[in-house]
Order: sequence, then C-alpha cells, then structure tokens
Amino acid sequence: MNLETFQTRVFPVKNKLFRFAFRLLGSTEEAKDVVQEVFIKVWNGREQLDEIQNIEAWCMRVTKNLSLDRLRQQQRRPTDPIEKGFHVQQTALSPLDTVVTTENMKRIGELMAILPEKQRHVMHLRDVEGYSYQEISEILEIDMSQVKVNLFRARNAVREKLQKINAYGLE
Amino acid sequence: MDSNKPIEELLEKYWNCETSLEEEQQLRDFFRGTSIPASLNETAELFHFFEAEKIKSLNENFDAAVTKQLRQRQEGKIISMVSFANIARIAAGILVVVVATYFIRQEVRKSYPKEIQDTYSDPQLAFEETKKALMMISNTFGKAKHEAGKIKMFNEAEKKIQSKGTEKTNI
Repeated sequence: MNLETFQTRVFPVKNKLFRFAFRLLGSTEEAKDVVQEVFIKVWNGREQLDEIQNIEAWCMRVTKNLSLDRLRQQQRRPTDPIEKGFHVQQTALSPLDTVVTTENMKRIGELMAILPEKQRHVMHLRDVEGYSYQEISEILEIDMSQVKVNLFRARNAVREKLQKINAYGLE
Repeated sequence: MDSNKPIEELLEKYWNCETSLEEEQQLRDFFRGTSIPASLNETAELFHFFEAEKIKSLNENFDAAVTKQLRQRQEGKIISMVSFANIARIAAGILVVVVATYFIRQEVRKSYPKEIQDTYSDPQLAFEETKKALMMISNTFGKAKHEAGKIKMFNEAEKKIQSKGTEKTNI
C-alpha cells in the first residue's frame, strides 16, 4: 500500500479516532499524540491491511488500546480534565452556540464523565459516532449483549439525571 | 401533542435501546430542528451535546505533520525509537552479563591456592608432585597386597580342612 492509498483509506477516520482518544484521555494533546501513534502503527503494518475486514473498527480498537496503555502508565483517571475538554468544545462549537447554552453542554459533559468506563465508551461510540452494535463489540472487544446492557444503563442514567436537574434544579 | 407521538414512541424505543441506526438518525434530525416541544427539552440538550461532540476535529496541520512522518518512514530515514530502545535494552543486558562473568572469573582465579595454579608452568614442581602421588599409590598397593596374602592363606587353610573332612566321611 502506498502513501496515497493510505491517505485515502485511513486518514478519513482521524477525527473519530481523535474524539474517541479524547473521550478516554480527556486531553487534546494526548489524544492527538495517540492518533499519530495509531497512524504510524497502521502504516508500519500496512502490508497486512488488506486482511483486515473493517479498517475503521480496527483503528478504533488500536486507539482504545493505546489510550488505555497511556492511562495505565500515568495512573490517573480520565475524568479530571472535564474543564479542558469542555474548553475544546467551546472553540469547535461555534455553529451550535446559538442553540445550546454553555451551561447545558458542561452539565451533560459532566454527567457522561461520571458514568462507568464501559458505559461511557459504548455511549460515545453509538450516540456520537453512530457505530452499529457489532462494530462497538469489535472495537471494545466485548460481547454484543454487554454492548446493549451498557448502552441501556448509560442512556437511562443520563436521562434520569437530566430529568432530576430540570425538575428540581439539582445536580 | 398528537403530532409528537411518533417521536415520543421513537424516543421510548431509544431509551430501551431498541432503535436502529436509521431511527436514531431520525431523532438527530428532529432535534436539529427548531420546533421542539418543551416536554422534550432535556432530551434535546442531550442530542445537541452529541452533535457538538461530533464537531471536534483535528486540523489540517495534523495531516501535513503525519504525512511528513510517514514519508520519512517510507524512505527509511527514521529509526523507530521503540525498536532502538529495545535494542539498547538487550545490548545493556548482554554487557552486564559479560562484565559480571569477567569479574567472577577473576575472583575465582584469586581464590585458588597459588601452588596448584602454578604447577602447570613449573616442570620440576610438577614432577615432584607426580612422584609424591605415585609413591602414595604404590604404598597403598603394597599394603593391599600384604592384606590380600593373609586372606589367601586363610582360604587355603579352609580348603585343606574341608578336603580332610570329606576323606573321613568316605572311609
């Protein structure tokens, strides 16, 4: 595979990889480093790329593994820099700024951040990136039933909290 | 109110994780619109959050930087730091073993008595040592021969007694 083919086939997934790495690590710079690392890894193994059925799902899996490796090395939780993550949103959000207030976005970001790890990952992959259950199962290396259970719990946990906040103004 | 019924039904399916990707896209499209009933405000916030998350992206500089790196790798200009670190680790391990072996050998040599060590290079001393050893073996053989003679004498006497005993019984 030459560089041009690589750019056509692999480069388009960069933003999905970046968002997923960001969801896992909570830092723009680290997420960027991970995506770069993923691309280099994929490039080094480009000879075997034709054997992989779903390159995008495979790249997402590599992103997950490299991000989790980093987290293990740093021994810290990814939920710390919510403010940092939110700051990134603000700059990238300009077309929606008129519709959604800063406060609401921050609140939902926080609700998602406190979800258990698997629920957070599944919800991101389904509701933000629009992956099928099968693809999520491949990316996270878990059963389809686990994907559904985690998604159900995540959606309902966020729903309940949002209802409480809107009804009583409690957080 | 009735006009919202299909969306409310779809939402119920969404919370129960029974929606397909297409149905979830319908919900996204609906919440992107402006005529959202007040009863669905908190759900709208959530869908807006997902949309905003999807906007986060890497800039064009990232593409250029990664392409440059991949091109350099293709031309073999970059030695992977990971593989270099691994080689350095193995080399350091081998060096430690070699140095340790050298020092242990030195220590073992020092601990041997000098005369044993030097015997090989001094023919006179080697001759004396050999002579001493042979004399010791010879003395031991002499003693053994003397003792064996006693046993032989005893055996002969035993045979004579036995033969006399058989003669008597024959008579």
